Amino acid sequence: MMKALGPLSRRRFLTASASLGIGTIAAPYVARADDPTLRITGWGGKWGDIMKAEIGPAFESEFKCKLQIDSAFPYLPKLQASSRSAPIYDVMHTNSNEQWAAAEMGLVEPKIDPKLVPNLADVYPYAISDKIVGVSIFTSAIGLGMRTDKGYNGVTSWKELWDAKYNGVRGGYVIPVNSLGQAFLMMCGTLFGKGQTDLDAAYMALEKLKPIKIVDFTGAMEKMLLSGEVGMCVIHDSGIYRYDGQNQPTDFVSPSEGVLSLEQVLTITPGSKMKELANAYVNYMLRPEVQKRLAETVWYSPANKKVKLDAKYDAKLLTTPEKVSKLIQVDWKWYNERKDEIDQRVNRIFRA
Amino acid sequence: MSSTATTRPNGLALFILPSALLFTLFFFLPIGLMALMSVLTGNPVVMPKVAFTTRHYARMIGDPFYLEVIWTTIRIGLVTTLVALVIGYPLAHWMARIRSRTGHALLLMAVLAPMLTGIVVRTFAWMTLLSDKGVVNQTLISLGLISQPLKLMYTETGIVVGLVHIYVPFMVLTLTGVIGRIDERLEQAAENLGASPLRAFIEVTLPLSLPGILAGSLLVFALAISAYVTPILLGGFQIMTLPILIYQQISANFNVGFAAALGIVLLMISLLLVIAYNRALGLVSGQRELQ
Amino acid sequence: MQTTASSSLPVAQQAASMPVPGPTRPYGRYLYLAVNIAILIFLLAPIAIVVVFALNPTPFIQFPPVGVSLRWFEKFFASRDFMHALWFSLEVAVLTTVSATMLGASAALALARGNLPGTRLIVATMLSPLMLPAILTGLALFQTYVLLDVGRPTWGLVAGHTLVTLPYVVRTTLAVLHNFDTRLEEAAQNLGASPLRTFFEVTLPLIKPGVLAGAIFAFIVSFDQFPVSLFLVSPGNETLPVTLFNYLKFDLDGTIGAASVVSIVLAFVVVIGLDRTVGLRSYVKL
Repeated sequence: MMKALGPLSRRRFLTASASLGIGTIAAPYVARADDPTLRITGWGGKWGDIMKAEIGPAFESEFKCKLQIDSAFPYLPKLQASSRSAPIYDVMHTNSNEQWAAAEMGLVEPKIDPKLVPNLADVYPYAISDKIVGVSIFTSAIGLGMRTDKGYNGVTSWKELWDAKYNGVRGGYVIPVNSLGQAFLMMCGTLFGKGQTDLDAAYMALEKLKPIKIVDFTGAMEKMLLSGEVGMCVIHDSGIYRYDGQNQPTDFVSPSEGVLSLEQVLTITPGSKMKELANAYVNYMLRPEVQKRLAETVWYSPANKKVKLDAKYDAKLLTTPEKVSKLIQVDWKWYNERKDEIDQRVNRIFRA
Repeated sequence: MSSTATTRPNGLALFILPSALLFTLFFFLPIGLMALMSVLTGNPVVMPKVAFTTRHYARMIGDPFYLEVIWTTIRIGLVTTLVALVIGYPLAHWMARIRSRTGHALLLMAVLAPMLTGIVVRTFAWMTLLSDKGVVNQTLISLGLISQPLKLMYTETGIVVGLVHIYVPFMVLTLTGVIGRIDERLEQAAENLGASPLRAFIEVTLPLSLPGILAGSLLVFALAISAYVTPILLGGFQIMTLPILIYQQISANFNVGFAAALGIVLLMISLLLVIAYNRALGLVSGQRELQ
Repeated sequence: MQTTASSSLPVAQQAASMPVPGPTRPYGRYLYLAVNIAILIFLLAPIAIVVVFALNPTPFIQFPPVGVSLRWFEKFFASRDFMHALWFSLEVAVLTTVSATMLGASAALALARGNLPGTRLIVATMLSPLMLPAILTGLALFQTYVLLDVGRPTWGLVAGHTLVTLPYVVRTTLAVLHNFDTRLEEAAQNLGASPLRTFFEVTLPLIKPGVLAGAIFAFIVSFDQFPVSLFLVSPGNETLPVTLFNYLKFDLDGTIGAASVVSIVLAFVVVIGLDRTVGLRSYVKL
């Protein structure tokens, strides 16, 4: 597939860099001509380990370049502070809501060109839907996480979370700073009102969710569920499945109303001097073998339809059109436009 | 505070220059940029067209929520400082008076240890202690002292506990130096004259250690009102402080202008308090010099 | 000042409590010790939890612990990222300590002896980096480096750390300077010593304890610094707190506990080393 793009020859980079000679003065980080560097962002943890150990080096040797992975969060404020003509990253990897904010500020390109990234032809529709800027390379399903040792049986609906028996062991997120919390707020509108955008219904539902233990990132929720501090919570499937094989008394519930989509999105910055390499990277991340390796490491559902996961993963992740159809995508553009107003409201709702 | 304050600066004054340079380049310039961004519609460094605006400050003044947040921040700062002083003082006194060298080294390590744990890990440790199923609640329940877990986390109490723990070392080490310089024989003399140890302490040691108390309090207050990791993790965003709002504006709302405005307001309030405090400190040390 | 204190002494006989450690009043002595031990427990309890976390084999904090294992330590030491971050943090902390100590001590000297106008305002200003939420300082510095087009060099990180550690050195040194007798310096000068010689032979030895205390603060605060570093570290050169923070966003296991224990031990080695070589004790009792 990559052949179609043509080889990324050294000379091309030389000319590309030379033509930008003046830009170099204003640009803090232009790669040296003899060593093209693609600057990307990426998660830490197991994802980071495997990127550094296998997937990154394989990309570097195939495309004769260096990958510089920034895994120090938060990425967007750094991109925001850097010059538009010489952005700090070529490819940004982060969650969908931040990608939308970045696209609105003109920091990332809203779409990826399928001619330059041939693997886009093989992704599920959600990955390049109108709810996505760039392309979603993986997704997780946001649903309910629960303890299996507390006799909570027959949980099938999101509405179960409001049951009084979970008072004291109910878990949620800090909505202003957490994607899962924000997606869940939209779900509340769907569950108790006219739809995702029914904020008043959502606020009322959140009010009734108290008492609730709220955390700002999912790792903390995983810990609280594992230690029994929380018995029923909003969580993404990978946050439960990653403990597979450790005999933890926890399980993931896919509610009948559908699961929310937590996309891992790649975008390219408009000012990038490494456009060709950037597109090559996006394409590379969508390759079936790369997708399979990462999916089976961190329990993310691959966006590429052609990926065949091992049975254990295939059984739990969203790997068929039918399973993928249960995904509910959030309209982040709509949400971000109202973020300040929503933050104000939920800050008050959850104030102690 | 020098008694010869009326004379002209001498050669030693030049020693301030390296620090002045550091502050100019790495504090006044960056903070100036932030102050500028707080009155502009965008980032002047990377955007071609930005306009002057007062909206960030207007937003703060226009909504009582922000005033409440400012008050919460200062309240937590004051309570933390007070508690850190109350528990830091006895320890500082012990450290200053202990005779054994090994004992002193052990105490010093115990005091320094909280500073070395790493801010994030330490806060997780507090969550383990204070949560509903945490060590404290489990112990109290198994002892039959309480039947329902105490709500220790996600409260101002929890935040204060966490902050006091981190900042007590600063208080202790500031106080130890000052108490150590107070002649122990003064306390003994007082007692020989018939004063109770408590009375000797209140009338001799305490007044003499006032400069240390003020300096330590200032440090702890400054640190407490600008802390954000501990209030986030132990307050779970259910208690809003100014630094949490700033963090939220930078990392989730990407509104640097508003974050900068909040930061400038926090800095102004703190500076005013510090100058007032320093004046008090000056008064106290001035009196001491007079006497 | 000492005469005032003793002359204003009241006379009241009560075999009450606190807090002078005198063998003559055992009850007060016991209370004094009990209070202090309670405070020590408060200070050390979270650290005990961290140690348990580091040794407990389950991948989350669990009470009571189910066993003892060194797997998290093995994982920590086997990780190239953690090892690199650990050494980088040490490097930054040492550079920061050196620069903050030199700058801070000379600033304190200028403030105490230089007859500068507006000393009080300068002292307050020097404390202000501590009052600003460090995430904003970090972002502001990052923005400045973008403006100056310097990238994210190690010296930029060290400068940021120096800014937030300098106030401690200034404070501790000033405290010592305020409390020692200027007559010693005057005497030296009257005996014909040049101001420079007076500085090196009289002033410097006298302020050493305060400078040293400041240096310890600077080292520890830099080593544990997180929010300022957040924006200033560059890929491949991350400090330990940043690496740990990114790690625990995904893996909340005992490795962060192990890292913490290693940091404490390392810092103790530094503190004990300083104690053995220059004598920390001296700064406590002047």
